[in-house]
Amino acid sequence: MQTKSIYKVPNGKLIKIFLDYNSESNTIASIQISGDFFAYPEESIHQLEEQLKGKQLEKNGLYDLINSFVQKNKVEFIGINPESLTEAVMRCQL
Amino acid sequence: MTEEWRLLETGLKTAAENMAIDRAILVAHSQNKVPPTVRFYGWNPPAISIGYFQNLNDEIDLQSCKQYKVDYVRRITGGGAVFHEDEVTYSLVIQENHPQISKNILESYGHICQAIIQGLFYLEIDSKYAPINDIIVNGKKISGNAQTRKYQTVLQHGTILMDVDVDKMFRILKVPNEKIKGKLIANVKERVTSLTHEKNEKFTFKEVSDVLRMGFEETFDVNLEHGELTEEEKELAHSFEKDYFGSKEWNHLR
Repeated sequence: MQTKSIYKVPNGKLIKIFLDYNSESNTIASIQISGDFFAYPEESIHQLEEQLKGKQLEKNGLYDLINSFVQKNKVEFIGINPESLTEAVMRCQL
Repeated sequence: MTEEWRLLETGLKTAAENMAIDRAILVAHSQNKVPPTVRFYGWNPPAISIGYFQNLNDEIDLQSCKQYKVDYVRRITGGGAVFHEDEVTYSLVIQENHPQISKNILESYGHICQAIIQGLFYLEIDSKYAPINDIIVNGKKISGNAQTRKYQTVLQHGTILMDVDVDKMFRILKVPNEKIKGKLIANVKERVTSLTHEKNEKFTFKEVSDVLRMGFEETFDVNLEHGELTEEEKELAHSFEKDYFGSKEWNHLR
């Protein structure tokens, strides 16, 4: 199932998530994280999208995954953070 | 002795050429083949650039682009969609370890934007940096800026609006909700300004780029020496134009 969310991060940028998810297993089939934010290095967003594939659409699990990905890869976000990314993804859930 | 940087004035070019040149300078400077470089440029035809992470079809009406002969391109920098028409665009390319470049990305945005603010001061325009990446005059945006860092090198580019046609811009930009499009346009008109609007007079590209040049020289305490793209940079730019900014794969990446 294809869904989309638009989330304006308070005091930050806009995140638009395009999500293809399996509603039976509640898992992410594929995800695109788009918007007018900044992330360094830029390629990290592609890697994060890959890592999110197959994961449960569940808030705490997603936050832990995103947060540890950011720590491990020393990703620097401007205008977004792991909390707001998680929120944007969760808003895709119908 | 005052440090010397290179100044490039490359005139009006297509969106793909412009983005390819910025990237070519980034690569050449990261390899110590050219000095830190400030470039001033414009766009012909007018163009929309979208941020690296933006979804092309979600942001731009490609049919309208064709109809109004507006180019489109995906930047290597993040940030939002920008309509480039009557403006001066700058880019600065400088290695990350330069003493004037903060390791803190947001701080470095502020410092580089200071060069623009200083330049606008010579046009008697009192502007200030509005984090994350804007410069504002009386609360209204006059300049948007975007930075990337690759190969330990900073590329920041940005626009200084000379004039802006918000209605035209919205013929090309998609809005999330067509019903409130009129309201959105009114809102943007209230939040965006330009040199023409602020001073009630028309400046030439040269007048604006000249004051921006002084702004960079003073802010960074350097001399900007007129230069040209090297042959190697031209070749690089040509291949980037072909492989990236002029290609469907790149522009339709997401």
